Amino acid sequence: MEMFGKRRVAVIGAGMTLFRRNLKETGKELCWEAAKMALDQAGLELKDIEAVVMGTAPDAFDGVHMKGEYLADGAGARKKPYMRVFVGGGTGVFTPIAGWWHVASGMFDTCLVVAEEKMSSCFPHPAYAFHTIFDPIMARPLGVTLIWIFALEMHRYMHVHGIKKEQIARVAVKNKQNALDHPCAQLPQKITVEDVLNSEVLCWPVQRLDISPTSDGAAVAVLAAEHVAKQLTDNPVWIDGVGWCIDSTYWTNRDLYYPKYVECAARMAYKMAGIKNPPKEIDVAEVYDPFDYKELHHMEGLMLCRKGEAPRLTEEGVTQRDGDLPINPSGGLLGVGNPIAAAGMMKVCEIFWQLRGEAGKRQVKKDARTGLAQAWGDLMQYGSVIIMRS
Amino acid sequence: MSREISTCPLRLRHYPGHLEPEYAYTLGIAGERFFREIKENARIMGAKCKKCGKIYVPPKLYCEECFEKLEEWVDVGTKGTVYTFTISFLDEHGEKLEKPEIYALIKFKGTYGGIVHRLGEVKPENVRIGMKVQAVFKPLTERKGTINDIAYFKPIME
Repeated sequence: MEMFGKRRVAVIGAGMTLFRRNLKETGKELCWEAAKMALDQAGLELKDIEAVVMGTAPDAFDGVHMKGEYLADGAGARKKPYMRVFVGGGTGVFTPIAGWWHVASGMFDTCLVVAEEKMSSCFPHPAYAFHTIFDPIMARPLGVTLIWIFALEMHRYMHVHGIKKEQIARVAVKNKQNALDHPCAQLPQKITVEDVLNSEVLCWPVQRLDISPTSDGAAVAVLAAEHVAKQLTDNPVWIDGVGWCIDSTYWTNRDLYYPKYVECAARMAYKMAGIKNPPKEIDVAEVYDPFDYKELHHMEGLMLCRKGEAPRLTEEGVTQRDGDLPINPSGGLLGVGNPIAAAGMMKVCEIFWQLRGEAGKRQVKKDARTGLAQAWGDLMQYGSVIIMRS
Repeated sequence: MSREISTCPLRLRHYPGHLEPEYAYTLGIAGERFFREIKENARIMGAKCKKCGKIYVPPKLYCEECFEKLEEWVDVGTKGTVYTFTISFLDEHGEKLEKPEIYALIKFKGTYGGIVHRLGEVKPENVRIGMKVQAVFKPLTERKGTINDIAYFKPIME
């Protein structure tokens, strides 16, 4: 794999805060808390960190323009090489990818990767903070909302494959159940398919329990070059593949029923990691699930199953923690919460803990050696994928 | 509707004191022609790529795949097909709407892209993917060169 990057890069520590609405801590304080936890696990101090990468989504959430600069001290970046990356909801998995190239390139031996979001600052509801992301000419004058553009996509996906809402609701049931075992989770719940189907209709076919919550939180990982990682731990988790891709800016120009851009990102990451048969070679996956249908949509885009097959695998229990292909053992965004960039990073942390056998009650039953984390963002058009091995 | 003001720089004024910033967005080269056709002629136009043949609706200045300039404009008619739709119960502030709105992505035959708009003259329970619809334009005197010059799309018999 010499053709990709110069050096092998390991994750050697991870940390995260509680995911909650209206946390008392500032964004900076959240970054610091998660970063301190990750450094402690890695056995490093801030002075050992050579560079910092920050991932955080629209400035409008925290309500501080130039959020990267604002959060820098909490992220431990003072007097260090520092950059912010931002690709919408895809940021959480793209941030460790940016950290990876800092180290793989040979420029730095250690890199702190920090992801933060504080969505509860925006009143009365962060929904309006999304308003300025839409096209000012074609979309905003119609009163566009974030939920209805997803509703249009979900409906098309259901229509093409003949999928019923009952099948999609099973994802919400599974993930909220998984979150009961996550100490940081915001919405751990034991619910039924009927609960989802009876919840408030927001934009048909999207209902209240199909959606992840508004959250505050931070999640952090420590990356190190091979020679440093081997000195510090017997259990490094290697980043063996990375991929990212953006599709057309106009979501009217996309298929909607299938996320081709996720497939492109996955192909890039699989090629780099030498993975030929994803369903056989991926032991555990954290796929982006801000809505329940997105877990299914993304499993298909990641080629973990055939198009239209994900609902059946979910019904058969294949994606449960004790199944053949555990998906979102953390509880995902639906259960743990969705502080945008931090939520994607939480997935990378979860794969790290799963591959180290440190996930406690969330540990998947099979012997997991290879894991995948994926996030999705911008206007339903961006895929970021990372492959990790123990 | 106040959210349309920002597309018209002539209506921006200077006031002393505290004022929230406004933005004036240009329609763009292709957008200006597209909206003039809607406003003056009640026509929906597309722009064709001479290299790959794709007809973009709404029209663009360039092909996002070939990167060629799009110079051939075609009238795509005012009838299209519902590709997907949603029934929205919320406004953009997350507040409950008095009456749900139906929004659909409408595709035009033989073209690439589509237009998202409201559906009217139909009950939510009667909307179907694949349904034929037609643009209903506001009267000429009320048209201002925005997407809301089309009041909504209504179902039609084939």
